[in-house]
Amino acid sequence: MTAPAFSRQGLARRAYPLTGLSVAIAVTFLAFLVPAPWGPVSLYVASIILVALAGVGRAIRQALVVCLPLWLFLFVLHGLLGGGPKIDLGLFALSADGANAALAQAGRFGAIITISLGFYRAFDPSRFLNAVAARGWPMHFSYLFVATLHALPAFVQRAATSIEAQRTRGLRFSGGVFGRTRAVVPLALPLILGALAEVDDRAHALEMRAVAKGGKRTPIDPPTDSWPDRAVRWTLWITVVALVVWRFVR
Amino acid sequence: MSSRLLALIPLAVAINVAIGRIVAELSLPVYLDAVGTILVSALAGLGAGVVTGLIGQVLTSFVSGYVWLAFAPIQILIALLAFVAARRGGFKNLGSSIAWGGLLGLLGGALSAVISYLAFKGVTAGGVTFVTTVLVGIGMELPWAITASSIVTDVLDKALAFALVGVALRSLPVRMISRYPLALRAVGR
Amino acid sequence: MSDVKFDGVSFRYPTGPADVLRDLSFAPRAGEITWLFGPLGAGCTTVLLIAAGLAPRHTGGSIGGSVSVLGHDPQATETALAGQIGFVTATPQLQLSGIAGTVWEEVAFTPANLGWPIERIRPAVDRALEELAVEHLSRRKPGTLSGGELQRVVIASMSVLTPKVWLLDEPATALDASGRALAYQLFRMQADHGATVLVASEDVEALALVADRLVVLRDGHPVLDGPPKTLLAGDAIWDEGPGSTAVAALAREAGRMVESSRFAAPYPITVEEGVARWR
Repeated sequence: MTAPAFSRQGLARRAYPLTGLSVAIAVTFLAFLVPAPWGPVSLYVASIILVALAGVGRAIRQALVVCLPLWLFLFVLHGLLGGGPKIDLGLFALSADGANAALAQAGRFGAIITISLGFYRAFDPSRFLNAVAARGWPMHFSYLFVATLHALPAFVQRAATSIEAQRTRGLRFSGGVFGRTRAVVPLALPLILGALAEVDDRAHALEMRAVAKGGKRTPIDPPTDSWPDRAVRWTLWITVVALVVWRFVR
Repeated sequence: MSSRLLALIPLAVAINVAIGRIVAELSLPVYLDAVGTILVSALAGLGAGVVTGLIGQVLTSFVSGYVWLAFAPIQILIALLAFVAARRGGFKNLGSSIAWGGLLGLLGGALSAVISYLAFKGVTAGGVTFVTTVLVGIGMELPWAITASSIVTDVLDKALAFALVGVALRSLPVRMISRYPLALRAVGR
Repeated sequence: MSDVKFDGVSFRYPTGPADVLRDLSFAPRAGEITWLFGPLGAGCTTVLLIAAGLAPRHTGGSIGGSVSVLGHDPQATETALAGQIGFVTATPQLQLSGIAGTVWEEVAFTPANLGWPIERIRPAVDRALEELAVEHLSRRKPGTLSGGELQRVVIASMSVLTPKVWLLDEPATALDASGRALAYQLFRMQADHGATVLVASEDVEALALVADRLVVLRDGHPVLDGPPKTLLAGDAIWDEGPGSTAVAALAREAGRMVESSRFAAPYPITVEEGVARWR
């Protein structure tokens, strides 16, 4: 009934949820710890390979979409407009320091965004909740997180409907900034008031369904935490701590 | 945590996102992605506001990269200012809402400039970064350019967000607003 | 023996100008479906909220008198009654857990929160899904269901607890005819197994057939109390406000126009009774 829904899918989805989360968080730390600029760039390359191997390769392209404008700004802001000695490249001159900083930051963005989106693509809220419940972690934060994930599509839909409805009533979406700013109120207000009107009924239901009750929640088919999962997590955290020591303590 | 907060907070984070979409649709130079956080802080207090802000930030980071978690302190500042404003009746009319929002914009803009400089080398999201780039292009030093562009954007953004929350709180039916003693105080009743 | 007991209860909402309930004493009996009926604002929903322990704790307001549910004061027990009461309202989309990826998980949500062992959860969930004829939906996302399907799932996620007390506020509004029949059949069965079922509803036609006892509220006070078939056939229920079934209304109107014993009270309340009487 509640067998793992992704059993035929890639490593990222089969792994214990906390392993994927650990990889994503560790890479975020590592990106700022490894020596710039080639450390972050190598980490980006490694993230691309890892994400592809783990069966969530679509994250690579999605991350590119997020990264490209950031890279462009880095190039302009630090490469072209950066101070210090310049490298003349014929068509334009690049700031040497700026280009280094831009390259390092571009690598960090690439690595972190790719790995985070990889984890997101593999994220199964139910598996995650059950893993957390099986570990006996407090439920409220993960409840809020997953409930928000579930509530989002409906709200974005409501916003779209509200925009459509106001548009057919003749609300103007063009014109000056001031006019468009005024248009926010009739669009946003019903959304806010509608949500607040639901709070009572939702809270009553949650109360009757024993959410606020303390004590342990029963996990349903919790994913198994295998020894390779644990090995990966420990290796990652030891590496992060070692790098922190190497960078800041020695 | 009470079941009321468990019901309220996901809706508030969803409001953050949905209003952010509306503003994007209207191509306004602001984000308005903290309306839900400000609302919860004014309804249910500081703790609830901070949790709303952090959940929202974790979620944003979750779908677009953990780098953005660096901005989490901003969420705490938003909740704090909204809470203080509520306690002092800061949502009782349009003028005072805008003033409190502007104050938050000043402080928040400065804080986000520091974060943006340290963690992001000034390159964050579209609009602010564009302004920063233009300022550097006309000869401003990078740290000042980041600060100036962050503060200008944030003051506009937060003033508008506070104004909107003020309108929402004042138009709540008595039956609903009376569930939240802090909100009654926020609108000066 | 009553699992739910109201004794001289009065209640006022924090913003209300007057008491919603006034000196309300009544005890729905175990094994019966007790139907609360009254015009809008008569206090039927408030009675359910108080029994569930939600008012005044969640709604605010002030309460007088004493209430006992399953031997507890619902105000004093915090969340102790959660999981022992089947609570269903008219808006299924607001009754969901908010975190379930499938219907099966939705129904398993409360038992899991209560810490039931998994060996107990599985058969209970499967049974509840079957009772509401929604086994085939078990792997669907709750968000993709129709209102009627969703209401069945919501009732199943209460029925999974085999509660001894059911508090139902217009439980069938979102349901189609077959869903409605199924739901009332389930509540009937629960009562037959000894549960106390308390329904607040304006669904006169359905409750006329299924309820064992009718309590009519007016301004927060019980004004009529008896077998539904008797009360619905009489004139008093019209004088107190809520009225009766369409057939009874027809007979009553006809009686005003034509002096005839054929249209005098007690009025027929179903089409069958009308046909039998007027043939």
